[in-house]
Amino acid sequence: MKTKQDFPSINEREAAGKKPDGSSYTVMVVDDSMFVTKQIGQILTSEGFEVVGSAANGEEGVEMYKEKYPNVDLVTMDITMPKMDGVTALEKIMEFDKNARVIMISALGKQDLVKKSLLLGAKNYIVKPLDRKKVLERILSSLG
Amino acid sequence: MRVEYINPFVEAAYNILTEVLATEVKRGELYLKSSAMPMLGVAAIIGLAGDVEGRVLFDMNRQTGINVASAMLAGMDMEPVTEMNDMARATLTELANMITGQAVTKLHNLGFKFDLTPPAIFTGENMSVSDASYEALIVPMELPMGKIEVNVAVRERA
Ligand SMILES: [Mg+2]
Repeated sequence: MKTKQDFPSINEREAAGKKPDGSSYTVMVVDDSMFVTKQIGQILTSEGFEVVGSAANGEEGVEMYKEKYPNVDLVTMDITMPKMDGVTALEKIMEFDKNARVIMISALGKQDLVKKSLLLGAKNYIVKPLDRKKVLERILSSLG
Repeated sequence: MRVEYINPFVEAAYNILTEVLATEVKRGELYLKSSAMPMLGVAAIIGLAGDVEGRVLFDMNRQTGINVASAMLAGMDMEPVTEMNDMARATLTELANMITGQAVTKLHNLGFKFDLTPPAIFTGENMSVSDASYEALIVPMELPMGKIEVNVAVRERA
């Protein structure tokens, strides 16, 4: 029986979540809403990224990053969360690993928050609501 | 309560509901409530702090909650929900978070300092809120999935 692989399509583009060597970029998702972790997970997995963990607050996110280091290529970080907010968590992750790639994903688009996050070392800032295109574009430009 | 505070919430609710539910939204008449009032059954609540203090509440009946959560999930090609389970609650609280986040951003750009807390959700029959020290402004939003009442109560800090 013929499988899809027997007919490579000329339009088939590289999956965005794959590195040049064919392995997947690894991503950690930090958000207090299970809806958002599923949503981001679904967008990324469908493009070949590997979601290696998700955390429900900043504190958990920082702990998980330290545990998994250096095997996390990218972190998506919510801001409004219980226990520890995402800007504080970003600061702590950058203190631990100055090369960390963190992308803020928040419902808040306040200029001072965006500025502060970028100054602290965030690679990008995405304002919710999310859609597939917006998420993939920003993530790809942060990996480039 | 100053009416400048309510408009950003109404605009944000309209924008976000239209976008994430991919549906038509009709704004109903604004009204004021100052005493204890009954709730519709499912209420996502977010606290506000900063120049003002208060809270915003997104109130709907159970079936509307299930319909709205399902529509939002469908928009992401995710399984709909048939009951008010953890996924339905997570979806509705995130909806509240997105609306309030956009409203707080608008208010911020107008020069008001607002911050918000992570959302919480309450479900149950015969619920009522009584925050006697606040006046609440309510804007009903009519959707094909049912009615969501956006209930904003803030007061300037003493
Ligand atoms: Mg959040």
